[in-house]
Amino acid sequence: MLKKILVILLLSGLSAHAVEEANIKKVMDAKVKKVLGILKNTKLSQKQKEHKSITVMDKIFDYRTMSQISMGKRWKTLTAKEKNQFSRTFEKKLKYSYVDKLRLYNNQRVITKELKKLKSNRISLEYRIIGKDKNYKVVYLFYKKRKSNQWYIYDVRLVGVSIIQTYRKQFSEFLKTKSFKQLLKSL
Amino acid sequence: MKFLHFYFIITFFIFQGCSTQQADPQANTSHIETAETTSDTSTKPVTATDKNTEAFDNEFETEFAESEKTEVSDPLSGYNRSMTSFNDAFFTYALNPVSKAYAAIIPQPLRLGLSNFIHNIKYPVRLVNNLLQLKFQNISDETERFIVNSTVGLAGFMDPATHYMNIPVHDEDFGQTLGHYGAGSGFHLVLPFLGPSNARDTLGLFPDMYLSPLVNLKSYDQYRIPSNFAESIAVYAVEVTNKNSLRLGEYESLKKDALDLYPFLKDIYEQKRASEIAE
Repeated sequence: MLKKILVILLLSGLSAHAVEEANIKKVMDAKVKKVLGILKNTKLSQKQKEHKSITVMDKIFDYRTMSQISMGKRWKTLTAKEKNQFSRTFEKKLKYSYVDKLRLYNNQRVITKELKKLKSNRISLEYRIIGKDKNYKVVYLFYKKRKSNQWYIYDVRLVGVSIIQTYRKQFSEFLKTKSFKQLLKSL
Repeated sequence: MKFLHFYFIITFFIFQGCSTQQADPQANTSHIETAETTSDTSTKPVTATDKNTEAFDNEFETEFAESEKTEVSDPLSGYNRSMTSFNDAFFTYALNPVSKAYAAIIPQPLRLGLSNFIHNIKYPVRLVNNLLQLKFQNISDETERFIVNSTVGLAGFMDPATHYMNIPVHDEDFGQTLGHYGAGSGFHLVLPFLGPSNARDTLGLFPDMYLSPLVNLKSYDQYRIPSNFAESIAVYAVEVTNKNSLRLGEYESLKKDALDLYPFLKDIYEQKRASEIAE
């Protein structure tokens, strides 16, 4: 009976596109576990591993919002077409970077730390990767979408470094001297 | 003694610099904020949903602009940039190949053991800095770790404190201690071989070196492992090679995320330090 409930819970959690507040930890834990399972699976090729881990994590990331934040004030000046173009390119870049980091994975243990409610519409969820000679802190930041009450990831902090903040700085620095088109190209 | 004077003069000089630096960006941001509110209340007719998304966007905007307030000053950007290229080349063409060869010869458990030993023996650095920040839980954790790892952990080569007792590490250095008491980071400074740093953390290196049993600047202390400055450098070279051999590929992977390496590394360093100080 308990097993059945667990299976149903897991399935319902995984199939949903985003998550509700009560489920965030459960869903994320399941996803992290699943990715670790994929990475440890010796039967899969590196390519398959990468592809599979991305599909596990994909739906919970809000790439559009990430793109918007990373562009900062420039976002409003872009046309709808440019916005789409940029979002797509940036999404690819983020995924590539994520996959590249996965390649470094070498059977490290991952521990769930705490979930913190920062504001009514912000939650952070912390993980610790137990590395060979050092532990790495990974924090996923969620925000609540107003319409649907679902939670999405809008930033990830690796050892205290915000990925989106880092891109934001780089983009604003880049756009000071170069054009938006050049930015798209260099991504 | 002369050195100590010099040190205090520099410290004083830097913190003077900090106060002026911090005033500037804050003035800037308050200006931006007012600009934002005025644009919000512009006469353009806006629908309710528009306003909603607008407020929502602004929320992210302020959240991320918040941490940009503390923009680090960079009067040495020209030097820093070339030093970054130098360090990058040094890493790619010297340290990395050497680490790879070292990793191929020495089996990983031994390298891990050495890494544990080095970490354990630097306990005085962590103890004093935690003490200076009055973090008593950290002191007790660190002391427990040191005792357990030095005895059961075979002189620190093993790390049972982490693996069996789950006692967390609390890395604190003097740069963090200064930051803890409100010192700004000062100007950014890329050090040869050591990589990104800033005025505060560079100054912090000296007290930490004084506390570390692995550094001996003037060959006067009995308890230190190296007996002079040259030996200290040799020990440090081994430490860095060993550390890098356990993290092969990390720097290359990180580098791929950069549009421009120097500002990227600078930003990452400052963000990382800020979060370490906040902990």
